[in-house]
Amino acid sequence: MTGPRTIDGYLDQLLVELYGRARDVRRILAEVEDHLRDATDEAIAAGMDPSQAEAAAIERFGSPRVVARRFGATLPVPGPAVLGELVRSLAGLAAIGLLAIGLSGVVAMGMRATLGASFVAGDLPGVTYTRERCADFFEYHPEAGSCAAAATAHHADEVESYRLAAGVLGTLLGVAWLWDRRRRRTRGKPDRIGALPEGFAATCGLALFGAAGALLALQSIGLMLGTGASHGAGQWLSGAVVSLAMAVACGGLVLRTIRTRAALPG
Amino acid sequence: MSHEQLKGHLDLLLLSVLAGQPQHGYAVINALRDRSQGRFDLPEGTIYPALHRLEARGLVQSRWAEGAGRRRRIYQLTGAGAAALAERRQQWTTFAAGVEAVVRWAV
Repeated sequence: MTGPRTIDGYLDQLLVELYGRARDVRRILAEVEDHLRDATDEAIAAGMDPSQAEAAAIERFGSPRVVARRFGATLPVPGPAVLGELVRSLAGLAAIGLLAIGLSGVVAMGMRATLGASFVAGDLPGVTYTRERCADFFEYHPEAGSCAAAATAHHADEVESYRLAAGVLGTLLGVAWLWDRRRRRTRGKPDRIGALPEGFAATCGLALFGAAGALLALQSIGLMLGTGASHGAGQWLSGAVVSLAMAVACGGLVLRTIRTRAALPG
Repeated sequence: MSHEQLKGHLDLLLLSVLAGQPQHGYAVINALRDRSQGRFDLPEGTIYPALHRLEARGLVQSRWAEGAGRRRRIYQLTGAGAAALAERRQQWTTFAAGVEAVVRWAV
C-alpha cells in the first residue's frame, strides 16, 4: 500500500485534499478520526499488531484523495473558488496544447530532414512570387537553387520556428502551473475542490485534440491526394500526428476516471 | 457483490440501517456488513460522504454525542427520511419482484 500508514498522517493528507468551510472540514476530520480509531481498536482487540491495525483501517477507508473528492460533492463551494478551479484547469490544458504545438514543430523538423522541405512547406501548384519577394527569400536561403526552393525553405523555417516558440510558451506556462500547484499544496490547499466534474480537463483535451487531429489529418490527406506529396502536406500531417496522440492520451485519462468512478458506490 | 451493483441503492441501504435507531457512522458500516452477511463490504470512506449527502437533502440529521470517552456524530432519520425510505422500499420491492419474475424463467 502506498500513502499514509498512520491515522495522523492520513488526517494530514485528507486536510490538504479537502476544500470547504472550516466547520465542515473540522467535522469531516473529526468523524474520520473517530472511525479510524474505532476500526484500529477493534482490530487490536481481535489480536492484530497495533501498527498493522492502523494501516489496515486506513486501507479499508480509501485513499485521502478519493475520500476528499466524494466529500467535496457534498460541500457547498463558493463562486470564486469555482472560477479559480476553472482557470487553473484551462491554464493546464493551454500549457499542454502549446507544448503539443511545439512537439508538432519537432515532428515537422524530422519530416523536413527525411522527406524534404517541400513535403513540409511546399507551395501549392501555380503559386508565384514577385522579384522583390524572391529576393527576400534568397536573403534567408542564399544556398537555394531557385526562388521556389528558397520560398519553400523559408516557409518550412516558419512552420518550425513558430511552433517551437509555442512550445517554449507552453513550457513557461506549464512551469507556472506546476509552481502554482506546489504553492497551493504548501499552503494546504487542494489541487481540485470538486467544483468541476472529475476528468473535466481530460474530456476537454480529448474533444479538442480529437477534432484538431481529425481536421489536420483530413487536410493533409486531401493535399497529398489532390496535389501530391510535395506541396506542404507535412505541416498538417505533423500536427495531426501529435494531436491524435494527445487525444489518445486524454482518452486514456477519461477512461481511467470513468473506471475509478464506476468502482465507487453511491 | 461488486460496488457497481450497489450504485443507486446505497441511499436505500443507509436509510434502512438508520430506520431502527440513531447510529454513528462506524456502527452504520458494521450494520451494513452484518445485515448483508458480509456481502456489502464497501470502502468505508464512501459511507460518510453518502451520509452527509442524505443530511444535505434533509433525509437524516446528525448531532455530536459523548460516549465511551469519545465524541461521535450520531445520525438519525428525519420525517422526510422516513417517508423517502418507505417510498424507496416500495420501489425496490416492485423492482426486485419484476427482476425475479423474469430471471426465474432463465435456464
